[in-house]
Amino acid sequence: MSVDTKNAGSAFPSDVTKPPVFRDGKRRHLKPGESVVLWSSRVVIWAIIIVAIVPILFVITASFNPSNSYFSSSLIPANFSFANYAALFQQGFWHWMFNSFFVGAIVAIVQVGFTLMGAFAFSRQHFFGRKWGLLGLIILQYFPNFLAIAAIYAALAQFGMINDLGSYMLVMLGGSAYNMWLMKGYMDTVPRDLDEAARIDGAGVWQRFTRIILPLVVPMMVVIFLFNFTGAFNEYIMGSTILQTPNNYTLGVGLYGLIQGQFAKSWGPFAAGAVLAGVPLVLLYGLSQRYIASGLVSGATKG
Amino acid sequence: MATPASTVPSVQFRRKKRKIDWSAYGFLTPAIISISVLSLAPMAYTIYIGFTNYDAMHFLKYQFVGFQNFVELLNPSNPLSTLFLPTLAWTVVFALAVTAFNYLIGLFLAVLLNNKNMRESSVYRALLMISYAVPGVISILAWQGLLNPDFGQINMLLHSVGIAAIPWLTNPTWARIAVIMVAVWSGFPYMMMVSLGGLQSISTDLYEAAAIDGANWRQQFSKITMPALWRISVPLLIPSFAFNFNNFNGVYLLTGGGPARSTNQFVGYTDTLASAAYKLTLQFNKYDLASAISIMLFVIVAVFSIIQMKYTGALKAFEEVD
Repeated sequence: MSVDTKNAGSAFPSDVTKPPVFRDGKRRHLKPGESVVLWSSRVVIWAIIIVAIVPILFVITASFNPSNSYFSSSLIPANFSFANYAALFQQGFWHWMFNSFFVGAIVAIVQVGFTLMGAFAFSRQHFFGRKWGLLGLIILQYFPNFLAIAAIYAALAQFGMINDLGSYMLVMLGGSAYNMWLMKGYMDTVPRDLDEAARIDGAGVWQRFTRIILPLVVPMMVVIFLFNFTGAFNEYIMGSTILQTPNNYTLGVGLYGLIQGQFAKSWGPFAAGAVLAGVPLVLLYGLSQRYIASGLVSGATKG
Repeated sequence: MATPASTVPSVQFRRKKRKIDWSAYGFLTPAIISISVLSLAPMAYTIYIGFTNYDAMHFLKYQFVGFQNFVELLNPSNPLSTLFLPTLAWTVVFALAVTAFNYLIGLFLAVLLNNKNMRESSVYRALLMISYAVPGVISILAWQGLLNPDFGQINMLLHSVGIAAIPWLTNPTWARIAVIMVAVWSGFPYMMMVSLGGLQSISTDLYEAAAIDGANWRQQFSKITMPALWRISVPLLIPSFAFNFNNFNGVYLLTGGGPARSTNQFVGYTDTLASAAYKLTLQFNKYDLASAISIMLFVIVAVFSIIQMKYTGALKAFEEVD
């Protein structure tokens, strides 16, 4: 999507962060004005990075600080210990992680399956209702399903489906319009010539779907899987509505319980839980970021 | 067989009428069922409850009350209007402020980072993305501790540089500032990445041509960079505003909606409409009022989505679908 004629010959034409290197490998000398701009930019960026990162360091420090007076303002804990982690595990942390993992994996797999099939129909097939279906998807993606929280809670209560991980998964499966819209946009970028060629060779609809389209939309499958999977670790409102006993808590509900009355403000164990859950999710995000960015760009720009 | 096909309007210039792929309905079945049962039915039920007096007192026997819930919420002389109107106003302020700060800070950083002489720019980008990458539920709850007026580290830090303790979560104004601050902290990196992508997609030819014509950097920024960025970012600003308008986590997990208002028991000073609907449902079992608020949120969000579709041309693209 980027047109960067200066670096057109390099392997990463869009990466403007590559230093300007001349053919002989020497760095270009900066003009005085450029140097001032560069260094003042750096100072501003450093300051913002510090402001953005220090709160996270505070939490990491607090997780190793055994005194429950939540925090000290020093970044190096006075008495380093794993006491908070031990306390956290006694509260059922792994249970919450497992529940989030379980819910996230199931919801993500089902979502990817439903999304792929529906998006295939919208992208590749002609049927009555296609136009209105697409408009419906566009509109639905603006309505998070928690807006219907009173209705969902009242309905589940009437059916006796409160405090059940299965009900929770069902509710989490509700918001699939956005996924389908993304996937449909991504599928539209796969050249139609491929399907036509396969059709001429005698491939049926199912074969075209599984053999031609599926392998080419793997990046978007990964994006949608990750969105839904990490979503289960980042969900509070529906979890807290439906799940009511600690054994059924997901991560968000459990961590919230740690700092609200129920477990008497256990800030130290909370910090430990935030670190244990946050670090893998941040790493997962970092590793998949290129995937997500490229998938979102190509999925979103092609309406 | 022929009925559905014949209802497709036959347009003069269409070269051939495509046959209907009946297998499409097979592919769509799982999505149709899940969306109908899990998205549309709850929405329809919400609309239904919004016109009844369904609450804890009328759990088994409830009746239609027409627009009574809406009248109660909107009529300024009704005590319940102190629930809705100030909350709506604050929700608008919150969403506008967060979207604006996210955008301005993100754009500013993107301009700084998009410097060909800054070799380590990608390191900065990665560091700046961390606050966005931490799942919101975890980071917002952590901020609740960091901002604790008595033992939170932010006040300790301020104390060490000689600033008196700030009542972050207990004073209405400071609580509102805190809610906006935390939402910006976790949201600006997204706008930064989007703006950076936009900046990098501007052809360098334009700048070279402008430089040859004698344009200085300020002219280049206002005449080339800003228009291009604006084109890319407006379609993102509207969904961002809509997202913050519906923001629940950023408010409820930080302040619980508090501090409490003296005029109204149901909502606090930082409650947005989304958190108000949640509290009315779970804490007060007032499903009718919660649903009425949700219906009004639906309507407001629908207006945004129509504006958005108009702007991005999604409606036009939709008209061309056959």
